[in-house]
Amino acid sequence: MKYFYNIIKADYLQRTRSYSFLITLVVTVYIAYLFVPLHTAKYTTLDVPGFKGAYNSAWAGYISGIMTTVMLSMYGFLLVNNSIKKDIETEVGLIIASTPISNFSYLFSKQLSNFLVLLTITGCTFLVSIIMFFVRGTDYPFVFSAFLYPYLIFAVPAMSLVASMAVVAEVFLDRKSILQFIVYFFIFGFTMASIKIQGADSLITLLDPFGLKVITNSITNAINSQFHTHINDTSFGFIFRGKQDFQVFVFEGVNWQLPFLLSRIVWIGISLALVYFSSFFFHRFDFKQSVSKKNNKPVQLTADLVSDEKEMISPVGISRALLPPLVFDYSIFPFVKTELLLMIRKGNQLLWLVNAGLWIAMFFVSLPIAHSYLLPVLLFLQVIRWSDLTTKEKTNRLHYFSYAAYRPLFRILPAQILSGIIVAMVMALPVIVRYAIISDLFAVVNIINGSVLIILLAVCLGIITEGKKLYEIIFFMLTYSAVNKLPITDYLGGAPHDNHLVYISVLPGLNIILVLVSFIVRNYQSRHI
Amino acid sequence: MTLEIKNLTKKYNKHKTGLSDYSITLEKGILGLLGPNGAGKSTLMKIIATISQPTEGTLFFDGVDIVSSPDHIRKVLGYLPQDFGVYPNLNAYEFLNYIAAMKGIGGKGLNQRIDMLLEGVNLTADAKRPIGTYSGGMRQRIGIAQALLNDPKVLIFDEPTVGLDPEERVRFRQLITDLADDCIIILSSHIVSDIETIADEVAVMQSGRLITKGSQQDIMKYAEGQVFEVLLPAADLASFKSRYSVIDTGRQQDQVRVRYISRGNDVVPGSVAAKASLEDSYLFLTQNKA
Repeated sequence: MKYFYNIIKADYLQRTRSYSFLITLVVTVYIAYLFVPLHTAKYTTLDVPGFKGAYNSAWAGYISGIMTTVMLSMYGFLLVNNSIKKDIETEVGLIIASTPISNFSYLFSKQLSNFLVLLTITGCTFLVSIIMFFVRGTDYPFVFSAFLYPYLIFAVPAMSLVASMAVVAEVFLDRKSILQFIVYFFIFGFTMASIKIQGADSLITLLDPFGLKVITNSITNAINSQFHTHINDTSFGFIFRGKQDFQVFVFEGVNWQLPFLLSRIVWIGISLALVYFSSFFFHRFDFKQSVSKKNNKPVQLTADLVSDEKEMISPVGISRALLPPLVFDYSIFPFVKTELLLMIRKGNQLLWLVNAGLWIAMFFVSLPIAHSYLLPVLLFLQVIRWSDLTTKEKTNRLHYFSYAAYRPLFRILPAQILSGIIVAMVMALPVIVRYAIISDLFAVVNIINGSVLIILLAVCLGIITEGKKLYEIIFFMLTYSAVNKLPITDYLGGAPHDNHLVYISVLPGLNIILVLVSFIVRNYQSRHI
Repeated sequence: MTLEIKNLTKKYNKHKTGLSDYSITLEKGILGLLGPNGAGKSTLMKIIATISQPTEGTLFFDGVDIVSSPDHIRKVLGYLPQDFGVYPNLNAYEFLNYIAAMKGIGGKGLNQRIDMLLEGVNLTADAKRPIGTYSGGMRQRIGIAQALLNDPKVLIFDEPTVGLDPEERVRFRQLITDLADDCIIILSSHIVSDIETIADEVAVMQSGRLITKGSQQDIMKYAEGQVFEVLLPAADLASFKSRYSVIDTGRQQDQVRVRYISRGNDVVPGSVAAKASLEDSYLFLTQNKA
């Protein structure tokens, strides 16, 4: 048991002692601050058209708890789906594979470590929700259990499930990160959609992994009984409705039923069962070396290779006098070429078929759909190509060369930015062309600004955190926002905006800040290895 | 061509010092850096390679301060770090082209130059395979090739023979010796015999400080008359090791032949004086027993 504890502890500490985690924590705390808006806010997080809950302990605690469950279930997966991958990259996995630890024990330790990381963030949002209750000061009394129960009953089992899903995804989909994202978000989206479909008294409510139907039922029951209406339409998420008339209802919390509470324990059991099941299929770090599919031919110990290993460095050596004269060329285009090559070869090559399908579709579907749905999704599918734009040197231990190169700051970094932008522009080309044809210059500029923004975000966050995770999470949130047309985070300009000129000038400003920060931090890093 | 290092200090934090008041002047030839782990060898090399800045001190290459003007040395620098990596999805040609771009080399002759370097390190047959499939020795050889891409005037090799087998090490030493005529070469290694074979001068370091620098003969003088060999019963070896700096041991039936440093005053009866080697002197200078 002691060694098991040590594995989890080491894994947890390794993951939480990073800038990436710290920044994710800060961002989450900020989001938690937004979870329970005041009545004067232009948005809501649990939307019941025409109604808003009174700011009492139950409303603040339950909405915060449920929003933490929804949001963290959504992007928490991205945060923790690399625990096994880390062991592969660091080759610690090879050492682990040679120890007596069973597949299940190893995967279970990873699940627990994932779970602890997610619980740490959950704990922070829990504290923020209580602090906000006091900061905002209402006439209602503080009831601790109204904050504790939703976190305990909704968030904890949900986080256990997310932690397990991340392990299962890593076991079955190996290092195919993008496929993991797609499968997970398909399951997540299906689960969220099914909440709306389920009837209020349905037994299927017990099968809701996040338990959300129970709270929506309680809220609609509270409204219906207080106002004698028949409301049954509720939605989660950051929903912007502007200023509308509303009535205030008092929500007193959920009347817990034993079958539902048992179902929460069952979901924790299911999450562990998933880990147990996946342990039968775990590769135990026994696979070929990581190179792209195209090049992933097994290394055969052919006669040539064996003889090569013996011949080694040429006995005649290298005669410098015979080498062609040096020609100096300080252009950035060789870097751009290599960066493009690396991006193209990255990830599963079959994804290019999906890219091509979406790209062609953007020419033929209606322009608003292409702009608001297909384009954000297509751009997000490139997440793994962009997330390591400025981190791959360090990951591959090539930064020794690049930092010692001639003027790296003004040659390599601009090349990385440029190559990322080229890919983004190519992806967005169908929509840009169509808007250009109908002379909608605002839309063209918005898309160009937005595409540049996501590249600069990748560059800047990669440089600051020296990791990919934060960018992947933020890019996902941006995609989610773009698809849901949330005005404040609408980076592609797909949603309607009150003031076009303000919107169109904010993004370039952000881009300039990102460029400046990237150059300043990289300048420091390149001289302080 | 001169590389002049004056009073170089590198402090990582209040308690950790990588280099302390380090001064050395280098001209053409091979300087071997010897020192235990944490002696500051890699720190010194990183500072010369301009990827780490000193806390104090100056570093001049041909009279130009390379701390404030790093690009002056970068144009003529070849650097093989201790734990460098590669992009596994690139093949050898693509990788060397990428490194050439970093060094600012292009033109029509570049491909021919890469071909010749690959031939020199015997990777031509595998040049179109992704580097991710290479063995450790092959990766080390591509590391050597990249260091030579720009006809460097300053070559820094940090533990270059790691991953090379004995025969390959011999070839590497030969290669380095050939290059030394018009280059400053700085080479660190834990394997004293690598340094012994090729270095014109040796610098011994410990705890971030330069203990001594000189020709191999100069360094060996430190241990002259201090190295002895003695045959001991195997059972006595443990207690002997606690009192003397043992350099080497070898079994001879139920006895052990022990090579040790006496430090001039406590020679075990039956000992025979031995000729001091570079390794003996290195251990004499860096160990403090007896």
